[in-house]
Amino acid sequence: MPDSAIFQAQGLHKRFQQGDVQVHALRGIDLRIDAGEFVVIAGPSGSGKSTLLNLLGLLDSPSEGQLLFGGRDVSRLSSSELSLLRRDALGFVFQAYNLMPVLSALENTEMVMEFQGVPAAERRQRSMQLLQQLGLAEQMHRYPDQLSGGQQQRVAVARAIASRPRVVIADEPTANLDSATAIALMELMQGLNRDQGVSFVFSSHDPLVIQRARRVILLRDGQLVSDQAQDAGEPAARAEGRELPRRAASPSPALA
Amino acid sequence: MLAHRLALRNLLRHRRRSGFTAAIIIITMALLTCFQGLSDGGHQAMIQVGVRMGLGHLILSQQGHAQDPSLERLISGGPQALALVRASAGPLAQSAVPRLRFSAMAQAGAQQIAVTASGVDPALELPVSGIADARAIVQGQPLPTGGATDDDRAASGQAGLPPLVLGERLAKALDVRIGDRVTLTVKPLGGGEFARAAFELHGIFRTGIQELDAFWVELPLPQAQTLSRSGQGISHLALYLQDERQLAALQERLQPVLQARGWEAQTWTEAAPELNSAVAMDAAGMALLMVIVVVVVVAGILNTVIMSVLKRHREFGVMLALGSSPGLIVRVVLLESLYLAGASLALGLMLGLAAHAHFATEGLNFREVFGTGLEAGGVLLPERFYSLLNPLKLAGVAVLILVLTLMVSLMPAVKSGRLKPIEAIQHHA
Repeated sequence: MPDSAIFQAQGLHKRFQQGDVQVHALRGIDLRIDAGEFVVIAGPSGSGKSTLLNLLGLLDSPSEGQLLFGGRDVSRLSSSELSLLRRDALGFVFQAYNLMPVLSALENTEMVMEFQGVPAAERRQRSMQLLQQLGLAEQMHRYPDQLSGGQQQRVAVARAIASRPRVVIADEPTANLDSATAIALMELMQGLNRDQGVSFVFSSHDPLVIQRARRVILLRDGQLVSDQAQDAGEPAARAEGRELPRRAASPSPALA
Repeated sequence: MLAHRLALRNLLRHRRRSGFTAAIIIITMALLTCFQGLSDGGHQAMIQVGVRMGLGHLILSQQGHAQDPSLERLISGGPQALALVRASAGPLAQSAVPRLRFSAMAQAGAQQIAVTASGVDPALELPVSGIADARAIVQGQPLPTGGATDDDRAASGQAGLPPLVLGERLAKALDVRIGDRVTLTVKPLGGGEFARAAFELHGIFRTGIQELDAFWVELPLPQAQTLSRSGQGISHLALYLQDERQLAALQERLQPVLQARGWEAQTWTEAAPELNSAVAMDAAGMALLMVIVVVVVVAGILNTVIMSVLKRHREFGVMLALGSSPGLIVRVVLLESLYLAGASLALGLMLGLAAHAHFATEGLNFREVFGTGLEAGGVLLPERFYSLLNPLKLAGVAVLILVLTLMVSLMPAVKSGRLKPIEAIQHHA
């Protein structure tokens, strides 16, 4: 039976120099994330959420410890192999959307597929279909500066999933959105996870986001303090302050 | 495809910056094209003036005559020598003309001035010589092409005297007018007493060349040979080409004749080193201008590329994070530079060629524009000269600019491709 783990981390540490000070951003993280999960990495500012997400996104390498992606030790991969993995197996949604300003919504959605060498007709058809699903049929030829924040983030989601990645990494995707738009975006990602099996790992400290996750990994001062499954939509009262049973390196009950 | 789209749209995105750089390139390329045409046209005019004013593209003489131009070193048997050279040169030479030049003393009344006397065949000189040209004659007539008849001489009041033309300044110095008597005194071949002959002033020319206008007289070749007692000897055989680029081929073809006869050949550049230097200096000045233009253009492009790249670290970081190859980023940056430089150069070239077309057909009246004549290497350029472009030279400059553009863009392009995505995204967020 094939291993369903996308990420397996053991003893992850990340240290970096900030001026004269050495920051120990992650202090021995163990975790496992399986295909089809909808995981939020929560925690206050400075807890190490973004650092962990950068490691999972193969954008940065750990100072210590081992990270397996699809069973492959990423520390043994060259930068071009990491680049190919990011292109083919990962999707990204950034806090600041980070769409290409000179490309239309449709072209932005097609971009990663273009990196992959997907034929023009196929990527056009896939992108149009996705943008229609995300309610952007009318806006697909508009440029990012002609779109609202919520619309831009939906284009970013379309771009992230159009290339059919194994997992989408989203760094505080709702941070720049108002509550209603943030909820709508979370429902959209939940739907994609539920209906199309797209895995999501995102960071947030927004309760609105956290309560919609099916698994919440809580970080504090670079350490994993809790890892808990929850029913999506359940209030996130338990997210902070309450000790949760750790599930590091264990299969997700949702997928078990 | 994506690289082209991103490159073009990024250029259009920053219209003011791209437009400013493009304007610099367009203007400099247009001016460069225009100046290059006028400069080369000016050089051509200078060479033509020099070649037409008593030189020739290739000048044959007896060995040693160039160093010691005395009557002792003449080409004997002028008509046979002329026939031999014409036969050897074939169609490469447009025309060949014999000349006999020697030092003489010109005298009119109490005035005496040392001059160079040039015996010429007026009929042969007419198509090639600037002195024989009716436009150069400001008073009187050029030397008669069929030889002066007795009727002509009688009509001029100096019956029996052969004709002579001289420069405007010399005429002023000798204080002579058309029809006046001018005596030439020369130490003839073989030594002995000075030989003297009287001539009738038939025409006064103005060439703009000091040496010709103040110290030059022309007379029919037979009279010059008689006066100098040189038989049928000639000092020079001047060859004129249809196409100046054939000069080396002509030299090579004449080599056996030169060796067999003990003659030597000088090109116009050797015969008129001052003129050659003036052309070379002007060409060097133009080359320097070209270097400055190329530096300005390349610096403009480099500035635009660096500004553009620095402002887009975050975008490049996002592309790299999403799995773009570094090569794609490099291509985007290089294509931006190429499009900007290529389109601007093409536009500048079109404007420059339009100006060239105007000056090539209408010409530039230097005196009208600048209020003074243009003199270089002792040669006064014609008042109106025409733009002449060497397409290869121009294409070379355009290609050089494109290559340099690529070279100066390569470093920022490669650096952009090597950005660490996480740093590029965070540092410019």
